[in-house]
Amino acid sequence: MSDLKLSNIHKFYGGVHAVKGVDLDIPSGEFTVLVGPSGCGKSTLLRCIAGLEEVDGGQIDIGGKNVTDSRPRDRDIAMVFQSYALYPYMSVYENIAFGLRARKMPDAQIKRRVMQATEMLNIGALLQRRPRELSGGQRQRVAIGRAIVRDASLFLFDEPLSNLDAQLRDEMRLEIKKLHQELKRTMIYVTHDQIEAMTLADRIVLLRDGVVEQLGAPLDLFNRPKSRFVAEFLGSPKVNLVPAMASNGVVRIDSDITLPLPMSSGLIKATPVLLGIRPQNISRAGSVNKNDRAAIEIVTEFVQITGTRALVTFSLGGNSMIADLEVGADCVPGNDIKIKFDMNRTMLIDPQSGIVIYPPSATAS
Amino acid sequence: MNRRYALGEAIWYGVSILVVAVILFPIYWMFMISLKAPEEIFKSPPAWFPSQPQFGNYAALFLDGDVWSLWNSLVIAGLSTVIAMILGTLCAYAIVRFRTGGDNLAIWILSQRMIPPIAVVFPIFLAYAAFGLADSYPGLILLYTAFALPYVIWMMRGYLADVPVELEEAALVDGYSHIEVLWKVTVPMARNGLIATAIFAFLFSWNEFLFALILTRTEVITYPVQISQYFGSQSTFWAKIAAMSALGTLPVFIVVSMLQRYLVRGISLGAVKG
Amino acid sequence: MTAASPTYIKTGRPFWAGRRGTGIAFVAPAIFVMLLVGLFPFLWSVAVSFQDLAGAKQSGNWIGLANYKKLIADARVWAALGRTLLLLAVALPLELILGLLLAMHFQIERPLKRLFVALIVLPAVISPMVAGSIWRLMLDHKFGPFNQIIGWITGEPIVLLWVIKPHLAFWAILIAEVWQWTPFMFIILLAALANVDREQLEAAEIDGAGRFRVFFRIVLPAIMPVLGIAVLIRALDLFRIFDAVWQLTRGGPGNKTETISIFMYIRGFQSFETSYTAALVVILLIVLSLAVTLALKRMEIAR
Repeated sequence: MSDLKLSNIHKFYGGVHAVKGVDLDIPSGEFTVLVGPSGCGKSTLLRCIAGLEEVDGGQIDIGGKNVTDSRPRDRDIAMVFQSYALYPYMSVYENIAFGLRARKMPDAQIKRRVMQATEMLNIGALLQRRPRELSGGQRQRVAIGRAIVRDASLFLFDEPLSNLDAQLRDEMRLEIKKLHQELKRTMIYVTHDQIEAMTLADRIVLLRDGVVEQLGAPLDLFNRPKSRFVAEFLGSPKVNLVPAMASNGVVRIDSDITLPLPMSSGLIKATPVLLGIRPQNISRAGSVNKNDRAAIEIVTEFVQITGTRALVTFSLGGNSMIADLEVGADCVPGNDIKIKFDMNRTMLIDPQSGIVIYPPSATAS
Repeated sequence: MNRRYALGEAIWYGVSILVVAVILFPIYWMFMISLKAPEEIFKSPPAWFPSQPQFGNYAALFLDGDVWSLWNSLVIAGLSTVIAMILGTLCAYAIVRFRTGGDNLAIWILSQRMIPPIAVVFPIFLAYAAFGLADSYPGLILLYTAFALPYVIWMMRGYLADVPVELEEAALVDGYSHIEVLWKVTVPMARNGLIATAIFAFLFSWNEFLFALILTRTEVITYPVQISQYFGSQSTFWAKIAAMSALGTLPVFIVVSMLQRYLVRGISLGAVKG
Repeated sequence: MTAASPTYIKTGRPFWAGRRGTGIAFVAPAIFVMLLVGLFPFLWSVAVSFQDLAGAKQSGNWIGLANYKKLIADARVWAALGRTLLLLAVALPLELILGLLLAMHFQIERPLKRLFVALIVLPAVISPMVAGSIWRLMLDHKFGPFNQIIGWITGEPIVLLWVIKPHLAFWAILIAEVWQWTPFMFIILLAALANVDREQLEAAEIDGAGRFRVFFRIVLPAIMPVLGIAVLIRALDLFRIFDAVWQLTRGGPGNKTETISIFMYIRGFQSFETSYTAALVVILLIVLSLAVTLALKRMEIAR
């Protein structure tokens, strides 16, 4: 079990400055997720940590040791690849044992370790099969088995669930979570899926264009994002953003909708902002109370029903918004519904810079 | 509709058979002559079928010791192919995975294949004479290796690139060195391409004439050189030409027929993925 | 959480470390061997071409560009060059067109197609020396079947002295070459045609385009890159043709079928005019290298 420290990592990839001075301190045993849109540099960063790419600047320390110039095999890491990377002409047993043979381990010990790993992953029955005879989920388990059998101190995952269908993905996500709890190793996980990030991570590192946009515990990023980018990346459906005018205690959308702000916003005069409210933080209002200034009457335009929830699209002040409401008879296009915003969960974003000015973020950069 | 289709099919087969017959006729002729008695060969007009097929011409090759040239061809073509495959695959791997030398190296290697042998053979001849490499196995093997390399590198480039990188990366992380990865992971995956390339490289060397002609005298002549020595109007020469040609060609036919599917890629330098 | 970032660290690794070093080590042996055969002869030839070495002479005197001037004035050189280019100009289109016709004929999937294709390819895998020998036997005016067959077609016995009369000798070589290498073109075009995007062809058919139009506008552009490489390879091979000519005519009668390669062989290995041949070698290598590099660059761009 080791910690990982990245200092000022730079990497040029195909002429592009893919990683621009990333610093990361990951304590031992933590599950860290590197997440971000395509091209943000997360995979490149992972490969640099693995040693599959040579960094162009900066230093990598694993377990206190400087491994910047070390080959992958000297870094005591294990890796699970997106397409599993199983050797097609070897049996499952051989696939898992392959890495151990490189270390010239005696056969008996190899057998023991392989059996241990396959038991943990429930693939003991598949040992003599070839990869092509296995399903996607089974292959993924073999790939994971190959990683854990090495007993490495750092585990790397490169979008391992991307090639699985949705249902399998949910199952495997849980498996990986269980794995981390059992093995308690330091794990670094790359994905573009924000649900995987939210559910698996002890800490999320959100990358954008080669730079760390924000890092912290999942809920911190979710409820107290630092920027518009972070707010929009996490959460499905995306957070609603509405142009508005904010001053000290209130925020006004259009001319007739005024909403109270629970905390002081620190704004003296009326300032143009983007009001951010997540669809899940919009709910039905009770009967319209003249004093309940947070209640709004809307007209539904589209309705998408997912089973127990209804995603209702409506317009406010010329802006399209979505509310995530409990399914009800009034969820029909063209209907009037009274909704209210949970003002404890709103955010105000500066339209120019994209920085969240209210509430102040909980995590530093 | 059915009748028109059947007619079209019949015509197609008819044309195909005709084409094949015309193209293969000279090859048939060669085999046929090799089975004729020398006296019968010089009949005008020639008979299209030997009156009494006989293997005397082949026997003559064995008795006169001419068959030795086939052995020389085998050793020289075989060894040079093996060496070229090893060096060439290493080189191709570096070009594909490490991008060693970038595009320029790749183009330079391709251009090497285009060098006309005649331009190269003269100074080599003199150098070999000076170093005592003329008319020797090592001399010819070195040369054939050098000429097979551009082809091998170019072909293996394509085949190695087809192996998924992730398999190699997994092995690297698992603890193998680059050489071990190449040998234990990449080569088994590219085995088919490897064999095809080796076969074609072998063929080029097996059939080569010019260098062998110039660089061998008596000790190490290969079978094409042997054939070229039967130049004249004696019927025994013709018989020997035919028989030797047949012996030198038969292995080629057998091997190629087993490897039809690699034919396109092999012949076209990988320009076309057959 | 964030440590103060250290200033930008340029990795102080030497040139040969890591992956780059491994790559160089892998590439070195092969390049060494190729340089031995590719570079050394060229340099040597350049040095010698400026001297007057001939015969058994061990050392020569510097005579500058004299050999080159002699080359330019040598009618026999130009004749050989002309003949070679003429052969190229006639054989290449023939091989191309015949190969294309064959490839189109075999575009249909039928049982036995693979067998036919495998059989047609055979001439291309035998030694050119053997091919020359075969045609020497075929074209003999007394004992070869070629004249016989022509006689059957024209209805009267024909005696064509294929390897004896100069004009006919040229055609003899042509026949041998085209016979052996059309299958090469055929195989390449067969695969190239098969790789043409079916959907484009179907779209054209729906649009009502005629066969010629479809061929010239869709098929031809699609196979152009492959065609380019095939033509380049064949052109170079034709330029340095030796084996078949040697076996058919030895460059004769006289020197009427002397190609460039034959010329160089005779001057270099029979007359032993070392420096003179070296000059020709130098010119040849330079011109060919330029031509090949240009051709490759143009095709890389197209690719």
